[in-house]
Amino acid sequence: MITRTQADRRWRRVFLIVGGVVAAYALLAPLTSLDAAQAANIPLLADRLWFRIATFIAMFVVMATAWNLIGGITGYAAFGNVAFFGIGAYTTGMLIAKAKWPFLLALPVAPVAAALFATLVGLPLLRLRGHYFAVASLGVGVAVGELVQNLDFRGQPMFGGATGLFLPIYAVPDRDLFFFYLMVLAAALSIAVTWWVLRSRFGYGLIAIRENEEAAAVIGVNTTLYKVAAFTLAAALTGLAGGIFSQWNVFINQDNTFPIEYNVQMILMALLGGTGTVLGPAAGAVLLELLIQFLGGSLPISFEIPLVSDAARPIVAQVMLGVLLVVVVMFVPRGVIDLFGGRTRLGWAYLRRSLRETSL
Amino acid sequence: MADFVQLVILGLLAGGIYVAVGVGFSLVWGVLNIVNLAHGALVIVGGYITWQLFAALHIDPFLTLPVDAVALFVLGYALQRGVINRIIRAPLLFTFLLTFGVNLVIVNILLLIFGSDYRSVTPAYSGQGLELGTIVIPYVPVISLGVAILLATLLALVLNRTRIGLAISAIAADRDAAQLVGIDLRHAYAVTYGLGAACAGVAGGLIAMIQAVTPTAGEPYTLQAFVVVILGGLGRVSATVVGGLAFGLVEAFGQSIPGSGSVFANAIAFGLMVIVLVTRPQGLLGRLR
Repeated sequence: MITRTQADRRWRRVFLIVGGVVAAYALLAPLTSLDAAQAANIPLLADRLWFRIATFIAMFVVMATAWNLIGGITGYAAFGNVAFFGIGAYTTGMLIAKAKWPFLLALPVAPVAAALFATLVGLPLLRLRGHYFAVASLGVGVAVGELVQNLDFRGQPMFGGATGLFLPIYAVPDRDLFFFYLMVLAAALSIAVTWWVLRSRFGYGLIAIRENEEAAAVIGVNTTLYKVAAFTLAAALTGLAGGIFSQWNVFINQDNTFPIEYNVQMILMALLGGTGTVLGPAAGAVLLELLIQFLGGSLPISFEIPLVSDAARPIVAQVMLGVLLVVVVMFVPRGVIDLFGGRTRLGWAYLRRSLRETSL
Repeated sequence: MADFVQLVILGLLAGGIYVAVGVGFSLVWGVLNIVNLAHGALVIVGGYITWQLFAALHIDPFLTLPVDAVALFVLGYALQRGVINRIIRAPLLFTFLLTFGVNLVIVNILLLIFGSDYRSVTPAYSGQGLELGTIVIPYVPVISLGVAILLATLLALVLNRTRIGLAISAIAADRDAAQLVGIDLRHAYAVTYGLGAACAGVAGGLIAMIQAVTPTAGEPYTLQAFVVVILGGLGRVSATVVGGLAFGLVEAFGQSIPGSGSVFANAIAFGLMVIVLVTRPQGLLGRLR
C-alpha cells in the first residue's frame, strides 16, 4: 500500500513538472519574436499563428475556469455563459467604437456590465434547478445574442446589427504579444480567484449548496446570495475575456461573440480537466483547444485523415469532436485530473468501472 | 378584426408544428429525465428522408411520414440502447453533454452527405389555400396541424392502451418499482426514446414542407420544444398539445408587433419561458410532481 502511494506521488510530481515545463515554454516562447530577441539571434519559437492559437487557449482557460465557479463548485449547470462573453465584448467594443474611449479604460467596464447582467438574470434564474436552470440559462444566452444583433434605435442598428462592429486597431508595439499576455493575465486571475474561493468560507458555502442545498440553507448558508455571487463572479471573469477579445479581434458580431458552441466547449473543458478543482478546467481548456485545432488542421503539426478531402476536413473534425464528447462523458466522467489524484490509475478496469457506475 | 382572426389562425397552424416537435421531446424528458439536445437533429433527419423520397421518387410528402417515423424509431432505439442507456444514471450535465455530442455528430454527418444546400419539398398544392373573404387558410399547415393532433393522439393511445406504453408510464411514475415488477428497463427506455425520435421524424417531415431543410435547421427546434414543454407542463401529451398551440399563438402575435419582424422569435420565446418558469413552474396544465 505504501509503495502504491509513493508511486502515485511520483506520477503526480512527473505530471506537475511536465505541466510546468509546458506552461513555461508557452509563456516564454512568444518573447523570442521581440525585435531585441531577434537582434540577439535567438531562434524564433512562435509565429503569428501560434500567437493566435495560444491567445485562444488562454481565452478558453478563462471561460472554463469561470464556468467552474458556478457549474463545478456550486453545481448549477449553467449553459448560457457565452452571454457574458458577448456582453463583455460588446461593452468594450461599443465604448471604443462609438464613445471613443481608450481601450484600457473601456476594458474594466466589460466585467462590470457582465456582472450586473448576471445579477439581474441570476436572481430569477437561480431559483430554478436542474434541467430548468440549464435550459433557461441557455435561452438567456441565445436571446441576448439575438437582441444584440437585432435591436434598433431610431432606425439604426443599435450595436452594429448583422454587419457587426469594427473597432479601431489598438496602437501598441508587438500587438500580438500584448494581447497574448493580457489574456494570460486574465487566465491567471481567474485561476487565482478559484484558488481563493475554494479556500474561503464562501467556497465552502458553495460546495455545501452543490452537495445539498436544503441542508446548506439549514446550517445558515444564505443560498440565494451565494449562488448569485458565484454566478456574478463567473460572469465578470467571462466578460473580461470578452472585452479583451473584442479589441484583440478588432471585429465583433453575433457569430464570434455569442456562439452556442462555446457554452458546450467551456463545460467540456472543465469536465475533461476535472470540475470543482483549481487547475482542472485550465488543463482541460489547453488539451481540448489544442485537440480542436489539431483535428481542424490548423496546427503546424498536422496529420492526414484518410479518405477525407480538405474541404470536408472541418466537418469531419466536428464529427470527431462529437464522438470525443460522447466518449469523455461515458468513460472519463470525473475528468483526466482524477487519474493524477493518487487514487486511480488509467486502465481497462477504470474505464469499465466508470461505465458501470452510470449505466442502466 | 380580420387581421386578428388571421393571426389566430396562423398562430394555431404554426402551433401544429410545435405540437409535433414537442410531444416526442416531452416524452423523453418526462420518462427518461433527459433533456434531449439531439431532438432538433432527429427532426431534421426526418426532414431529409421526406425530401429524399419526394425528390427522388416523387412520393407525396404526407405519405412519407410513416417512413420517417419507422426510420427514426430504429435510429432512436439503437441510440438509447447503445449509448444513452450507459450514462442514464449520471448527473444531468452528462446527459446534456452526451446528447449535444450526438447532435454534433448527426448534424455534421448530414453536412457530409447532403452539403449545406437548401432543400425544399414543394408538392403541387403547397402555397395554395382556402380563401374565406379576407382570411386565408393555407392547405399544408392545416393538414400538418391535423397530422400533429393525430400524432399526439396516437402517442397517448400507445402510452395508455398498450403493454409497453403502460410499462413506460410505470417507469415515469416510479422507476425502481417498475423494475421490481419485472419491466425490462433497458428495452423500455430504448422504446421510449425510439417513440420520441419517431415523433421528431414526423415533425421533420412536416417542417420540410414549410421551410427549407439544411443540416443546421433543426437546432432552433430543440429550444422551441423545450419552451413548448415548459409552457404546457411536463408529463402529459395533452399538456404538450396545449403548450404547442399556445407557443404558436404567442409567436404569431410577437411577430406581428410592428418593427419586430421574425428576428425576435427566440427572444420572445425565452422571455415567455422564463416568466412561466418563475411564476408557474408546473406549466399551464401541469401538475406539481
